[in-house]
Amino acid sequence: MTVSPPILSTALHDAHEEAGGNLVPFAGWSMPLDYGSILQESRQVRGSAGVFDVSHMARFLCQGAGAQAELDHALGARMTDLEVGKARYSLLLAEDGGILDDLIVYRQAEESFLLVVNAANRKRDWETLLARIDPESLEDLTEDGGGILALQGPQARTILNRITGASDFCPSFLDLATLPLGTEGDLAIARTGYTGEAGFELFFAPGQGPALWNLLLEAGAFPAGLGARDVLRLEAALPLYGHEIHESVNPFEAGLRFGVRGWKERDFVGGDALRALPAPNRRLVGLASEKRVPREGYLLFQGNREVGVVCSGTFSPHLDHPIATAWLANDADGELEVDLRGKRLAVRQMELPFIAHRSRD
Amino acid sequence: MRPDNLSYLESHEWVRHEGETAIVGITDFALEQLGELVYLDLPEAGRQVHQGEALGEIESVKAVSDLNSPISGEIVEVNADLAESLDTLQSDPFEQGWLVKIRPQSKEGDKDLMDAAAYQALVEASD
Repeated sequence: MTVSPPILSTALHDAHEEAGGNLVPFAGWSMPLDYGSILQESRQVRGSAGVFDVSHMARFLCQGAGAQAELDHALGARMTDLEVGKARYSLLLAEDGGILDDLIVYRQAEESFLLVVNAANRKRDWETLLARIDPESLEDLTEDGGGILALQGPQARTILNRITGASDFCPSFLDLATLPLGTEGDLAIARTGYTGEAGFELFFAPGQGPALWNLLLEAGAFPAGLGARDVLRLEAALPLYGHEIHESVNPFEAGLRFGVRGWKERDFVGGDALRALPAPNRRLVGLASEKRVPREGYLLFQGNREVGVVCSGTFSPHLDHPIATAWLANDADGELEVDLRGKRLAVRQMELPFIAHRSRD
Repeated sequence: MRPDNLSYLESHEWVRHEGETAIVGITDFALEQLGELVYLDLPEAGRQVHQGEALGEIESVKAVSDLNSPISGEIVEVNADLAESLDTLQSDPFEQGWLVKIRPQSKEGDKDLMDAAAYQALVEASD
């Protein structure tokens, strides 16, 4: 008999049920996969604005006089020049340079950093950080009753303007700010996201979640689930841990050099290994097909030669055909086929990202 | 909504007998689990299939899965238009959304299949 760990619920659990959410277990949490249609929710985000509950993502607080220096050593990207009120993408590396996770670091104050990491890696990331950083300066906030709502799409700013009355906030990508939320207190927001669209991630405090969710829906945001989130991030070619990146992938072949900013000269965990790496012999490419979806793990062939493997695949509602990311050997060129459960399917390469990013608009 | 004169395979295919032929399809529950469909692959008429054997594939945004034959016999007709009108399959899986017609190998009826009540219990247990 196996004993399953208890499943966690976000502050929006009841709100998802009310909105018709199809709740499924995900990384130890009960999360909405969709509210009826993954494809429609994806289109609504690109066409208007969608709100995603991403409160399952782990939130670690790192603060204190030594926080900046310790994080700079513990993480892939440089922290010493991260300004207060800005966010930065980083990687968490193993000693050998492999990727343990990717994360966003938000500098809330001179000595206060919020780290948002993947739910599935929460335990390992926490233990890794505890081993690299003074445990006294670390706090896991994930289950404090607060959480994160991602408001994404061209209407995101208008919607936030409607519910806060503020109009002049986060002028640049990766900006972090605090907005008044009527009687609900203040709301921390950041111009970050995982869809390729303009948008914000809203860090709500314990008790604020359901009220914020309702305000967003009343102001015109459509509820969107994790299914749509995966479609949108893949169209935007944003990496997902366990697919495009994992322990056996290094940042350079994954095209994530900006996640190890300053790698050539900085002293950080994994830095020596990165500096000793040979040039990659494979690269991450985009694929498109006619009808069938090339899915994770399907092998790529050029004639009889195996030249790669699919990382993620889905049907793209924006392009109206299947898309996938895959590892492709650098010396492969010409016609590609994917082995689709025993059948060969012609695929063509497409430049990444599949859709133009509008996150800086 | 689910007709009660069908027999079911555990993998959610149904079969209904009409005279000498058996009509085969996939259930509303399976389609609901799959979500939005993107592709359907059906066999050619004339092929022999065994009970439980894959006769085609169905693919949704979320997943790809085999379509298994609920009975053994020869495929005599295929709903060839269905692959181009997946909405029909999604909206009417028990009538217009049938997949293939099979001439059963045996006349002994449906062995190792569930009746409507047993299938309903399976659905409730997995929902």
